[in-house]
Amino acid sequence: MTGHDPQVKRLVLDVLKPHDPPIDELASKLASCHGVEDVNVTLAEIDQDTESVKISIDGDDIHIDTVRKCVEDLGASVHSVDEVRVVRKPHPK
Amino acid sequence: MLTAFRKLRGYLRIAGVASISRRYFVMNSFDGAMAILGVIVGAYSSGTINSKIIIGAGLGAAIAMGASGFSGAYLTERAERRRILLKMRKAMLADVSNSIHGRAMKVATIWTAMVDGLSPVLTAIIPMIPFFMNSVGLISIDHAVWYAISLILCMLFLLGAFLGRISKESMLRSGGRMIIVAVVAALISWLVGKI
Repeated sequence: MTGHDPQVKRLVLDVLKPHDPPIDELASKLASCHGVEDVNVTLAEIDQDTESVKISIDGDDIHIDTVRKCVEDLGASVHSVDEVRVVRKPHPK
Repeated sequence: MLTAFRKLRGYLRIAGVASISRRYFVMNSFDGAMAILGVIVGAYSSGTINSKIIIGAGLGAAIAMGASGFSGAYLTERAERRRILLKMRKAMLADVSNSIHGRAMKVATIWTAMVDGLSPVLTAIIPMIPFFMNSVGLISIDHAVWYAISLILCMLFLLGAFLGRISKESMLRSGGRMIIVAVVAALISWLVGKI
């Protein structure tokens, strides 16, 4: 580190999930992840056994790995990370 | 405790075991009650009725039905759940056995096996109560037989009523249907016992 810690403030994921658990449960589970403050899940496509969803996560210090683990624990998988916003916060002196 | 219960409910919902559990419960409770009805009526009509024999035969049958129900349902459900996980894996292009789905399938297998194993044990043991009472000298053997048959008919009526409630039919009619089946089976057992 060079005196600044990069912190993930926004994350947009393209996720493939089974029909169960429903998107409200997925959103609630993600909202309990470290650093997550706001979760928005939008259904993009629905198939016979699966559905594709777009997940937008806003927060103070989002841990991408924790979010990925949360998603995978619900039987879903991250297809792609479509957007990330990172800010470099200076260390307090 | 409440969290564990909520977790269990969540797993059962994800695995979709509600209808299969209901089916197993009614089918096996019916089996347990009818088997004991046959034992009691057959023994009574042959004139060899004795509390010790009924309790011994009844408990033996209950344990056998419980063990058979548990193991049969466990193996069947396990195979069925594995098939579902494989199908999901194919659709998701990823292994989901370590996810909530994998855990839900394991819980569902144990749950359905327990329902399948315990339901005949319960309905087979309840009609034994009057025979236990007879064995300690509280009631006569004739009374024990009629109390036990009444208990079985009540349980079967309740099972029928439960089915009626599920199918939104008349609970009375559905319960009555169960009673008719039980009476016919009891008559056949009685005739066989007379031979």
